[in-house]
Amino acid sequence: MKRTFLFLVVVAALGYGHVYSLANVSRAHSDLPVPLDQGYVLPGNMLRVFAVEYRGIVADLCFLKGLVAYGRTLEGVSSDRSIELEWQRVYNLLDVATDLDPYFFDPYYFANSALARNPSMVPIINDLLVKGMDARDWDWMIPFYLGFNYFYYLNDDYSAVQYLMVGAKRPGALSLLATLASRLAYRGHRTENAILFLRGIIVKTKDKQTLELYKTRLEALEQILYLERAVAYFRQKHEREPMDLNELILLGVIPKLPDDPYGGEFFLAEDGLIKSTSDLTYKKGKY
Amino acid sequence: MKSLVPLMVITFKEGIRNRAIFGIFLLALSLFAANFLICGMIMQEVGKVAVDVALSAVSFSGLLLVLFVGINLLAKDLDRRTIYMVLARPISRAQYIWGKFLGMALLIIVSVSFLGGGALLSIASVKWAYPSYFSRFAWGGILWALALIALMLILLSALSFLFASFASSSFVTLILTVISYFIGHGVAAIKVLVEAPQTVGIEVSATTVRLVETAYYLFPNLSVFDIKIQAAHNLPLSLMYMFWIVVYGIIYSGLAVTVAGFIFSRREFP
Repeated sequence: MKRTFLFLVVVAALGYGHVYSLANVSRAHSDLPVPLDQGYVLPGNMLRVFAVEYRGIVADLCFLKGLVAYGRTLEGVSSDRSIELEWQRVYNLLDVATDLDPYFFDPYYFANSALARNPSMVPIINDLLVKGMDARDWDWMIPFYLGFNYFYYLNDDYSAVQYLMVGAKRPGALSLLATLASRLAYRGHRTENAILFLRGIIVKTKDKQTLELYKTRLEALEQILYLERAVAYFRQKHEREPMDLNELILLGVIPKLPDDPYGGEFFLAEDGLIKSTSDLTYKKGKY
Repeated sequence: MKSLVPLMVITFKEGIRNRAIFGIFLLALSLFAANFLICGMIMQEVGKVAVDVALSAVSFSGLLLVLFVGINLLAKDLDRRTIYMVLARPISRAQYIWGKFLGMALLIIVSVSFLGGGALLSIASVKWAYPSYFSRFAWGGILWALALIALMLILLSALSFLFASFASSSFVTLILTVISYFIGHGVAAIKVLVEAPQTVGIEVSATTVRLVETAYYLFPNLSVFDIKIQAAHNLPLSLMYMFWIVVYGIIYSGLAVTVAGFIFSRREFP
């Protein structure tokens, strides 16, 4: 009896010591200086050899590592240089995952929905998407993403049309793709087209968090479209440009300015376009 | 042939009785269970990941079976000198090797069938939980992948018999088999790389190219047996490919065991 009691006391003490020391060592570990080259990921060619016959599952693990690395970028606790490296690391992991298994859709989907929050990455995201478009020759979603990126982020309507047309020819493509391609070919209606694009993407998005992201962007674009139409009405009625958006309220065109879901404020830019102080992205670190 | 069957059956029974097999099956079971957990973190292609994990679990467990159970089946007789008792009977040494190999092949086929059943159950349960994330999915490719895993393991086992026929200990056989496994899976990719080094911006000497080409023809090309990615994405597989891969697997295994029998016949035991 006494021995059992003693045994339980020792186990309880050691168990408590284990939990306590684990908490301390984890905290101390997170304070360790991290070298700047931590973003290095083995190139796909090399990893292909090391992965032997487990290319598929190694690709899955690279993708999951990418998700974790992305979580770190969202924490936004590092310096600017580190944040850039973290973004690059996420991209490298997705790139390697698709080198190992170019048919794997999730890395393309994730790169397009999450990494595009950092607009400076869009050109390399497009490189990744082209790899996916070539491998998944049955899939219309990837050319659709490419079309959106060229249209929305890079203002390159010509390339957008080319990719939309590729997507439109693939099995099961939404009829929207052909419509968008023809509308873009005529230019104009940028905001309306962007809204159409996003509605098309939302139809095929199942992941809750990504859906939220797209819905926020859609909401912001709908507010911009609302203001653009109000400005157009003002021009028609008063035969001049409004001085700013507040004049629309003063002259009774709109009751009040809509809220920017990204937390900024809408304003009328010098080029006559409706813009927001948020630039339609979350504040730094939040993306 | 008459003398082969009892040896094959004894080898199979001996393999089944090996305790390591329980550990290997336990590992596979935990990987099948982990499949559910991993798939929960995937956004779109849950079906692909479920197939990846399940087939990799079968393949990895099978590899452990060949390395830690298969090699011991032959090496134990040599290490413990029980081979003298067997060789005193009216069977040739080559027949002994063939009997052992066929027993091991049977063990692999039965084990992969069991593990494959577990893999199919694991995939079916993930499919039941996430039915809408299995857009490009078919069972046919998965069954083919399982069959090729079994064939690849049989080939690797044949190679381990070849090494065991001249190696001084089971450890040396294990090391040589592991090296061959890595070379077998990487040599085709390395051959492509050294034959067109300009694509990745490296320089390769003519000697290296010759060395890699020799390795390409000497070692089995195990990467051709790997159709897990095709199975996971339900990509088309030609019947001609499947035919030739089966022919290749059988011929290489036969060659390795025949050479093993030849070397073993000339080996002197202390």
